[in-house]
Amino acid sequence: MRFDLSHLQAMLLFALMISIAFGFLSRRRPMDRVKYTVWSLLLFLLFGIGIGWAMYPFSR
Amino acid sequence: MADQTQIAAIPAPDAKREARAIAFGVAGWLVPGLGHALQRMWGRALTFFAVVGVLVFVGAGMRGNLFNSDGGDAFAALGYLADLGTGSFYWLAKYIEVGGPDVSHAYGDYGTRFLAAAGVLNLLAALHAYEAARGRKA
Repeated sequence: MRFDLSHLQAMLLFALMISIAFGFLSRRRPMDRVKYTVWSLLLFLLFGIGIGWAMYPFSR
Repeated sequence: MADQTQIAAIPAPDAKREARAIAFGVAGWLVPGLGHALQRMWGRALTFFAVVGVLVFVGAGMRGNLFNSDGGDAFAALGYLADLGTGSFYWLAKYIEVGGPDVSHAYGDYGTRFLAAAGVLNLLAALHAYEAARGRKA
């Protein structure tokens, strides 16, 4: 079994898994869990892509 | 007088309950989600089992570095501790990763992070199961 994920795919999968786990850990009600998961996922993606762009000028 | 009444109202620590909570925590570490399943928290149990399972499966499939006890330096020791956090899934990852780690490519390095994150997340879930059994969290 081998996975060749791109940078973006790996980040998306990682962010989704961690966000779901955080949502279930910290909230009890289903709707609160969904909200927390979505919010956490958005922040993961925002910071991941933001840091990626911030590093772009130094990539060469 | 009022203080004495309040002190008497606080329940004494229950050794049996504490032992049960430790057992749930250890069970949750050994098999992700089991600590919650034993407390009938089915949603959390399934979620932690699936999340840790996916992270380990994909991390090993990306040929991430699964650290051993003979790492040699502090980073390898910390990596080993993080990987051990997955409990029984550590050996599952070893079984999946038949070709060994390959961190010469970016995806191998990502796989290492996936495996470490799965371990730390499972430790967090096991701690939550322990605290829930003690009545501190629900």
